[in-house]
Formats: sequence, C-alpha cells, structure tokens
Amino acid sequence: MIEILQQIVNGVAIGGVYVLIALGLTTVFGILGIAHFAHGSVSMFGGYLTFFLVTSWGFPLLLAILVALIVGFVLGMLIELLAYRPVRNANHINAFIVALGLTMMVEGLNLQFFGHEQVVIPTNLSRVFDIGGVTIPELRLYVIIAAALLIIAMTLFVEKTKTGQAIRAVAENRDAAILMGVNVKTIPLVVFAISTALGVCAGVMVGSLFAIAPGIGEWLVVKGFAVLILGGLGSIPGAIVGGLVLGVTEALAAGFISSAYKDVIAFVVMIAVLLLRPQGLMGKA
Amino acid sequence: MTKRLTFTTLTAMMALTGGMVMAEEKTLDIGVTDALTGGAAVYGLPQSNAVQMAVEEINAAGGVKVGEDTYMLNVIAYDDKANPTEATNAVRKLIDRDGVKFILGFCCSGATGAVASFIANEDAVMLVGNAAERSITTKEIANLTRTRPPADYTGAAAGTFVAQKGHKKVAVLGALDVGFYASYVDAFEAELKKAGGEIVTRESFGLKDRDMSPQLTKIRELQPDAILVVGYVEPAAFIYRQAVELGIDVPRYGFTSGSEEQFLRVATSEQMEGVWDLRPTELTLLSASENGVAYHANYTEKFGIAPSPSSPYAYDQTYALKHALEAAGTVEDTAAVAAALREMPIPAEVVMQYLPVDGKMFDANGQAYTSNGAFQWQGGNWVFVQDLPSDAAAYSAFLSTID
Repeated sequence: MIEILQQIVNGVAIGGVYVLIALGLTTVFGILGIAHFAHGSVSMFGGYLTFFLVTSWGFPLLLAILVALIVGFVLGMLIELLAYRPVRNANHINAFIVALGLTMMVEGLNLQFFGHEQVVIPTNLSRVFDIGGVTIPELRLYVIIAAALLIIAMTLFVEKTKTGQAIRAVAENRDAAILMGVNVKTIPLVVFAISTALGVCAGVMVGSLFAIAPGIGEWLVVKGFAVLILGGLGSIPGAIVGGLVLGVTEALAAGFISSAYKDVIAFVVMIAVLLLRPQGLMGKA
Repeated sequence: MTKRLTFTTLTAMMALTGGMVMAEEKTLDIGVTDALTGGAAVYGLPQSNAVQMAVEEINAAGGVKVGEDTYMLNVIAYDDKANPTEATNAVRKLIDRDGVKFILGFCCSGATGAVASFIANEDAVMLVGNAAERSITTKEIANLTRTRPPADYTGAAAGTFVAQKGHKKVAVLGALDVGFYASYVDAFEAELKKAGGEIVTRESFGLKDRDMSPQLTKIRELQPDAILVVGYVEPAAFIYRQAVELGIDVPRYGFTSGSEEQFLRVATSEQMEGVWDLRPTELTLLSASENGVAYHANYTEKFGIAPSPSSPYAYDQTYALKHALEAAGTVEDTAAVAAALREMPIPAEVVMQYLPVDGKMFDANGQAYTSNGAFQWQGGNWVFVQDLPSDAAAYSAFLSTID
C-alpha cells in the first residue's frame, strides 16, 4: 500500500509540471487553433533565465522567478505579435510552419546564450518529509503546492474575470464574441502572455526538480500534447485531469510493470482512453 | 661601393629566404569526431579538448618527426552528437573532403560502432577513446585501436569486489538499452553469482530521464543489500540524490566515470557521500600519477574547468599516434602507422595507467587495458580506495576468441 501511495506522490509531482505545460498549450489551441510547438523551448528559456539570474547575478530564487515570469509574459506577447499574428488569416499550414521554425529558433537561442551543459536551478531545499512511510522531498512538495496554486489561479482567472470570460467567448465562437464587443485583437496577446508565463513556471519546476538541457523542451512539449489529447483539445479541466493521469500512470507503470516501457505504457493508456472517448477525458463530443 | 652593398644585401636576402624555405614546417591534419553537444557532450567535449591540448603540447615540443620531415599537427573537429548517422557523416567529411587519414575522439559506443563498421575499407586509422562497447575491438579491424578497456572487463572486476563486500542481493538501475552498460551488468552478475549473490531486479532508465523515483521506490520495497547504478553521469547523479530522498540507505555502487564537478551540479556532497564508482583507473586528482597531476593542472588552466576522469583516453591516443607516426616513418602509409600502433610500448607521456600485454600498449585486437579501481566519494572528492582484480592478458586472450 505504501508503495502505491509513494508512486502516486512521485507521479503527482511530474504530473503537476505536465498540467502547467498543457494549460499553456490548451489555451493557445482553444483560442487560436495553433499547435504551439515552441512552448517547450520557451519553457526551457524561462528555466535557463532563472538559473542564470540566480547563479550569475546572485538574484534570490523567488526574485529570479518573478523576473523570468515578467520576461515570459512579454516574450509571449512578442511571439503572438511577430510570429503568429501575420499568418492568422492564412492557411493553417503557415502557422504550423511558423511554429516549427520558432521551435528551432528558440532552441538555437537557448544553446547560444546558455550553452549545451545540463543545468540545475539551485534551491537549497534538501529536507525530506516522511508521512507514514511515504517520503516527500521538500522541493517536490513545494512544486506540487505551486502547481496546485497556479492551476487554481488559472481556473479562477478564466471563470471569474472579464478577460477570462472574453477568452472563453472567443474560444466558443469568435464571431459571436466580436458581436458582443470583445476585442479579439487583444485576447490572443493575453493568451500567449499567460501561456508563456505558465510555461516559464513549468521550466523553473523542471529545472529545479530535474534539469534543463538541450532537448528537454522537445520532451516536455510532446508530453504536453499527449495531455492535451488525453484531456480533450482546448479543455482546461481536461489539461488538469490529463496531466495528473499521465504523470501517475507513468510512475505506476515504472513501479509495477516495466521501467523500460513506462512511456510506452503511458501512451497505450492514452490510446485506450481515446478509443473509449475520442474527444478526450473532458472534451466535448 | 653601392653596387657591392646591393649585391651583398641581395645575397644575404636570398640566403635568408632559402633558409626559410628549407626550414618550412609541414602540417598534418588530424580529425576528431565526438559529441561536442547533446547529452553525451559530458564525455565528448572533454575528449576533444584533450586532443587539442595534446596537439598544442606536441607542436610546442617541436612537432612530430617523421623521417627527415617535421610535422605540426592541426586538428579538424566535428560534432557527431554521439549519433551514428552524424558520426558516419563526420568521418566521411574528414576522409573525403578534408583528406584526413588519422581520426581520433569517439566517446560513445553507438556512434563509434557505426564508424567501425566501415573503417576497415578506408585508407585511414581510427583511434577510439571512451567508447566501451566490447564489439568495437572484436572484429579484427587492423586500422582501429582503442585506449579504453571494454565495459565487461571492468564489470567482472566490479562484481568480484561487491561480492567480497558481502552483498548478496543487489538491485540494478541502469541505462540497460545501451549495449555496453548491459554487458557491464552481465559480467558483474556472473561474478556475483559465483559468490552466491544475485541481482534482485534490473530497472531501466533512458538517457534523457531525470526522474528515477518510480524505479527507486520499487527497489526500496525489495530491500536489497546494495544498488548498482550504470549510466551516464547526469542521470546517475539524479539517482544518487533521489535514493537519499527516498530514504534508501544501502551502499550505492556505480559505473559512471563522472567528475566531482559534474556530480555536484545535481547532488550535494552529503547526498553523494559514500558512493562507490567501480571503473577503469581513470583520472582522479587524488590518485593521479605525475603525468595525471600535470594533465589536470594544464587542462584546468587552459579550459577553466576540471577535466572529466575519462578525458585522458583521448589525450593518450594523441600521443600514441605521435609515436606510431614516428616509428612508421610515414604519414601516408596508414597500414604502416596502424601496425606501428600495435607494436609500440606504452608512451611515457600517457596519463592513464595502462597494463601492457606482451610489453605493448595495444594487444592484437588493437585494445589497450588500464587497471580497474574502486573509487569512493569522501568529503567532496572521488578517492581511490583500491585496485580491482584485473587480468589484462587473460581478458585479451578471451577477446580474441569472440567473433
């Protein structure tokens, strides 16, 4: 029993990171219908930037995260304005190519600015809590709490604020939203800014829990899209449920079936879910 | 008077110019292909640096004397990202476009194996560094040598050592889809079984994985006497850290060849305390020979970072090539240079502690052997504790029996 609980705790931490990545992807996809492949690389940029601010400029960790979030916010708006807006009314393939090009560009910039070495964001959080035989490292606990708070904040923002309602309105029916007076030119800017800031948070979590290195962004975005499909395209609750399901499934698969095939097993579960619910766990039929 | 002066000046100038032509140095391009970026760069980049440093030393000492000529070495390096296709392309470029006949580097087995599969048909000599897959030196390739011993040579010695420590139930966590890591574990298990021990589980991870807590949770439930970690330094460092976080307090053994600096990027020294690394007796400052101490100091000064323990394999192959070129007396006849490599004694400049076979650095398969050692993390450093039982001659004979 303790082993199962331990594996669930293991899975929830990584699942929280998947949720943050998927939330960013799903809001962009829901509003604009863009598969924003560069999201993983942008997340890594946020992680690298935090690492750089902490280790090279001596910023306290929380201040460095705050600066990285602000930079992420602005970067997101720039990406929308300079990369995606010019092709918004063009064929979908154009946005697809822009997304691929942007991925390569951001990966290249990461490599150029931060080098090829694996980096780990230093946190000095090394305590381990033991709760009834289930061990939780302090850092993992904070990651789980932070992910939960961000998910709640994002949900409240989308459900309770006017901007959130406008985002949902554009996602539901763009033409109707225009008729209702929603400024549809501003909404994509806000969506990309929030999405990128969430991605930066995920990058910081990956960088402190594990590591940032070239190629990690690709891995992260693949997982993010898997969650997107599993939870239902464009669905925010789906991203939350899907991320946690994928994280916990991977941990349980590695612990009880085969560590060599944990990714395969997680994707088999995803395919099985889609066979039963083609629209995803929380998607609309 | 003026005419005489002019004539004298012209004569002097001609003499000087002629002298300059006579003293013109020749340049010999040598190639390096290695993982300069990507996950394997922790091994490949230090190797490339080591070759560059050796070349600068050789040039500063007067170059390579081949017959009547003296050659200055020039390095042309390509990044193969430890990828077989990239490595093949890099070697093709070196041979076909750059006209290179001597190719060094090769940190990683997949990429090295791909090049080894066709190098026998090329007018070139391949000097392999850190790549540990056994099959690289079992194919009787006359123009290939390797400075690092195969992984199973070390795995057997490690198995004996762990069994002597009294461990009966060992859990393995490794990059087991990589051939040479799997062969290390196989050889380890064979020796452990002879002493009545067993491997209770073999758990895997991918080279890009950084969260091994699910596998470690499973291992914790099996209550082994010890764990064995085989894999690249970066995931291995996470395993050591996460094992402590999960409260696993059994001895941790490994086969990683990472430097202190590389491990401390991920884990604290406290989390690493007591970890064993069972590997060829590679560079660690506390156990280094005079050459090793000098190598460590020069490398650190030149590149601003401490060398990885396995990087001298590439440094040593550069000096091996220098001596082979001088012994063969040619830079054109690659067969003669390859033959000279197999006949040479261990050069005085090498850093690793090689065990000669029949008095030579490389055996008939082109394989060199170092001693194996048990290193332990003590107070922030890898400390050499003892030699592991290593019979180079017996292993060399065994290697010759494999197709």
